[in-house]
Amino acid sequence: MLPLRSVCGGIWRAAVHTVRTSRGAPPYRLLSSTCDGAPAALADADTIFALSSGHGRCGVAVVRVSGPASATALRCMAGFTQRLPPPRTALLRSITDPRSTEVLDRGLVLWFPAPRSFSGEDSVEFHIHGGPAVITAVLQALGSVPGLRPAEAGEFTRRAFQAGKLGLTEVEGLGDLIHAETEAQRRQALRQMSGELGRLYQDWSDRLKRCLAHVEAFIDFSEDELIEDGVLNRVDVSVRDLQAEIERHLKDERRGERLRGGVQVVIAGATNAGKSSLLNKLCQRPAAIVSPIAGTTRDVVETALDLGGFPVLLSDTAGLRDSSDLVEREGVRRALERVEQADLTLVVVDSAHLPSEVDRAAAFLREHLSSVLPDTGRCLLVLNKADLLPEKQRQKLDMELRGVSGLPAVCLISCQTNEGLKDFLTVLHSSVKTLCGDPLFGAPTLTQARHRAHLQRCAAALAQYQRYRDTDLALAAEGVRVAVTSLGRITGRVGAEEILDIIFKDFCIGK
Amino acid sequence: MGHESNGVSNRDTPSFNFYSDRCASHMLRKKLPFLHSLLSPVSRHVGHLAGHQYDVIVVGGGHAGTEAAAAAARVGAETLLITQKIHTIGALSCNPSLGGVGKGQLVKEVDALDGLCGRAGDWAGIHFSILNRRKGPAVWGPRAQLDRQRYRDFIQSELLSTPRLTVLEGSVEELLVTEPNPEEPGHHRVTGIRLANGSHAISARSVVLTTGTFLSGSLFVGQTTSPGGRIGDAPSSPGLSHTLRERLGLRTGRLRTGTPPRIVKDSVDLSLAKLHLPDSHPTPFSFLNTHTHCKPEEQLPCYLTFTTPGVERVVRESLQLNCHIQQDTKGPRYCPSIESRVLRFPGRSHQVWLEPEGVTSDLLYPQGLSMTMPPDIQLRLIREIPPMRRAEIHTPGYGVQYDFVCPTQLSPALQVKSTQGLFLAGQINGTTGYEEAAAQGLWAGANAARWALSMPTVTLSRTESYIGVLIDDLVSRGVTEPYRMFTSRAEFRTSLRPDNADLRLTPKGFEEVGCVSSVRYQESLRVRNSLQDALTALQALFLSTSSWKKKLPSVPISETKSTLLTGLDLLQYNDVTFEMLASAFPESLSSYMEFAQRLKIEAVYKPHCDLNKKEIERIQREENMSLPQDIDYFSLPVSLSDEVREILDRVRPSTLGAATRLEGITPAAVVNLLNYVRVTEKKKETHRNQRHQEARGILKVNLSEKKEKKVRCREHTLKF
Repeated sequence: MLPLRSVCGGIWRAAVHTVRTSRGAPPYRLLSSTCDGAPAALADADTIFALSSGHGRCGVAVVRVSGPASATALRCMAGFTQRLPPPRTALLRSITDPRSTEVLDRGLVLWFPAPRSFSGEDSVEFHIHGGPAVITAVLQALGSVPGLRPAEAGEFTRRAFQAGKLGLTEVEGLGDLIHAETEAQRRQALRQMSGELGRLYQDWSDRLKRCLAHVEAFIDFSEDELIEDGVLNRVDVSVRDLQAEIERHLKDERRGERLRGGVQVVIAGATNAGKSSLLNKLCQRPAAIVSPIAGTTRDVVETALDLGGFPVLLSDTAGLRDSSDLVEREGVRRALERVEQADLTLVVVDSAHLPSEVDRAAAFLREHLSSVLPDTGRCLLVLNKADLLPEKQRQKLDMELRGVSGLPAVCLISCQTNEGLKDFLTVLHSSVKTLCGDPLFGAPTLTQARHRAHLQRCAAALAQYQRYRDTDLALAAEGVRVAVTSLGRITGRVGAEEILDIIFKDFCIGK
Repeated sequence: MGHESNGVSNRDTPSFNFYSDRCASHMLRKKLPFLHSLLSPVSRHVGHLAGHQYDVIVVGGGHAGTEAAAAAARVGAETLLITQKIHTIGALSCNPSLGGVGKGQLVKEVDALDGLCGRAGDWAGIHFSILNRRKGPAVWGPRAQLDRQRYRDFIQSELLSTPRLTVLEGSVEELLVTEPNPEEPGHHRVTGIRLANGSHAISARSVVLTTGTFLSGSLFVGQTTSPGGRIGDAPSSPGLSHTLRERLGLRTGRLRTGTPPRIVKDSVDLSLAKLHLPDSHPTPFSFLNTHTHCKPEEQLPCYLTFTTPGVERVVRESLQLNCHIQQDTKGPRYCPSIESRVLRFPGRSHQVWLEPEGVTSDLLYPQGLSMTMPPDIQLRLIREIPPMRRAEIHTPGYGVQYDFVCPTQLSPALQVKSTQGLFLAGQINGTTGYEEAAAQGLWAGANAARWALSMPTVTLSRTESYIGVLIDDLVSRGVTEPYRMFTSRAEFRTSLRPDNADLRLTPKGFEEVGCVSSVRYQESLRVRNSLQDALTALQALFLSTSSWKKKLPSVPISETKSTLLTGLDLLQYNDVTFEMLASAFPESLSSYMEFAQRLKIEAVYKPHCDLNKKEIERIQREENMSLPQDIDYFSLPVSLSDEVREILDRVRPSTLGAATRLEGITPAAVVNLLNYVRVTEKKKETHRNQRHQEARGILKVNLSEKKEKKVRCREHTLKF
């Protein structure tokens, strides 16, 4: 068995060597042949990585890697060429980008060989500085290591669970934890997908699905049915174009929307409730135009602020009402879109519009909430214009609305007299603090890194199609399948029935 | 010939009855005299069977039924096959062919599990070809045109010579249903069947229904409708449908299929069609056959022709006379008939394959021309196609509508979840095609036998076979149109190849299911060991690229890389064959020449199969976690949304793996279910252990130990 090991070691070293010396070469080439004409000798093991710490007030960020290729990551990026470090010992190393050998940061690395690790598999932890630039760079560098990909929602926890590492007591909140992670990822994806980027991905997805459908049709039906000549040629052209477009997009990092980091807080509510005043108060400078005319804010006004040390992206929106005015209607539509993507919504209500009986007030507020929010998202109820209410009613409302079931935290404020603002800021601060503790909130860099990794995989898979196109169409089709799955992780899963639908619509297939 | 036990009553047979009892029996008697002598003691005397207890009864002698009966008998159950007409056992209702792309994979797998259709195809085939030859071994589709008579003869003689298998001619009136066994899940239990025309009840522990297109079947030609499951054959008894729907409360639907007219060969001018030759070296279906019964030069060719605009015109003109198509509002996505083809894709030319029906047959089968219009219009349409300008129709085409049972009500062993002992297989589950029916039949028959013999049932994963893909698709998703197998349905197409079906299934069939003979099992072991040895020998050949270049000068190996390559790496190159390597290294490799092609395929696909391995293992792990059948999902103390609960309750997936594939199940729901399964398993285990310890007089409930564990857990999480 000795020759086999040294052969594997040789190919291994060759791969690592290629990683470290290729300058600017796209990382996915590592998955292709190491010898001319022969297919990949490295198996793509399922190794995941993710940011495990929060952001905001973090001096240190922790990036975790779990899976069989964790050792590769350690070797490529922390410079352990000969031997792996002793397990569970923190070592200070320079963390480098395997593609450009540029030093990204100096931090601690820990090596946890299986089975004694969080997830039961080989694991690595990088403790790096918590600045967004460093985090982004390290995540992107990890994405370029062969065999690594960003973790999906809840994957780390699931692996720990499947390895039996989580006791029964921890497991109870597991589903909710994964649900929260999935929701956060979904919201982030929504933020990135709306607009040009989303349309681009969707276009790619549609074209890829059609390619796959036509290749599958050719495999399954061309012997019995009349599939026109040129179907495969058209697929060739389409695949070539798609691969070129994806590679171009990957190379160009600066173009496209640069999303700003921070917790997304959206101020929503009916017209003239005092949203813009609230925004101005929070920004401590007039960022939004405030006027007594209902329907003043037409667009979304965005400001980035620091709220007690936590980055917050505050958005003021158009008042939610039906309007015949085209511009205002568009503003309302954008407002609702923002609310759906928000991490935290501040629903502002004009206190004067509340019914006088407190129990009716609770029901009114509940109904109002359900009309504004898509589902029970995170929100705070802000009852503005408290100065217009009589003192007794104010006190009664204050006492009664605390701890009413079905309602989130309620704050009574007045933007005019600054009454109740301090308490409100405390509540807001603690909500944002909780959100920031979770690494997924407000970090578009993570989603961007995930999207990049999926796109890289997609382009590599399309290269497989071209390599096997003439010799083995089944293997070529595998390439397109993997490409569709990879892109599907961004745009949404594609089922087998969807492909069959396209086949039967485009081709006349008999019994 | 006595008719008292024959379940077919003459008033039910359709008007154009070309295959009368007398004619068919006469043919059979003429061709196989020895069979007739076997028929008499078997078929007519129902009386003495009434008191006999069988393990398994199979209802219906089609492709599913024959495989089910044979498999059940092989597993060791006393099996009774009941069919309306013994001489139609093995009849091919539609296209006289076996295999194809996707379907060929099923035939190989059925053969790997010792089924009949593969060997029957080798015996009866008159035109062999491997489809998709240039598209790669993973999607090769072995196919054969069959001689109808020979196929029927083979299947019938196989059945009648299978030990523990009895064949009875009769019509089943109803199923005998009683109270369920309380220790097993289910609301009912099947204890046997009752025949029509008499109150004879035959009891059995399990029953397999393979009624095909006969359940409340009606035939359509033009405007005429008549009850029937196939031309010349009455539908199955209405009592059966009634039992399934009313008594057992099963959800059913209605599906349709059709068949083309049969053309008299001599009236067709084949010189105007394109000749299509078979493979010069026919490859047998069965892993146990080295050659086909038909010699290469004895094979018959097929012919290819095309429709013309005249065909489209005839279809349009006769639409109002065609009630089958008129009702076809929500038809399948594909085009089952020539009418739907020209209506959905107008202005195009469609392929028509003219296939011979047998060596001595004077009929041609026009594949692609399924039609249901009145016979005189069928003739007009046929004559619009140049080679058939003066053709004569022997039997008109017709459509069949039949009931099917929604297969989501079945377990992965094809047992009805609510009824103990009842198994369904074949077109009754909503599939179309002989191969799909045979695959289900074999699996249901084997499981029915195991059930009857108090053995646990077995499941096939979609990661290890096309049969698994078929059953999983049916049971998890159900059908909205007749389900047909395509290779694109299999995620792991690169691993589920027709060449390795024996390695994937034969050992499992012998060791876990019991439906494989020891001869076949020994052969599969021999193949597996030889392949393993050959691969080891290849990997032991270890040279630098320059040495390889010296040994194989014609292969373009790049000498720039200084890595060492094994024989296996070399075999992955396009231009390298195993024969070349064996001639370069005869001492170590020449003994494996028999497996040259298989080794080449293994080498080329190995890295791709390795890529799939992790995913396959993950799915298999999930499939091994079974969900009990009687969970009340609505009151389950697990955090699940209402929609998820509703979906789970409606579908009742059998395993966690099946649950993950349902539409609308979120990742969080899966984890919560997983948690529930784990917790209940753990609880059951602790109870079992406690009972064990109590029985032995030691009961250690160490509270401090539990506390210690909790503290350790908390510490564990604090580190991260």
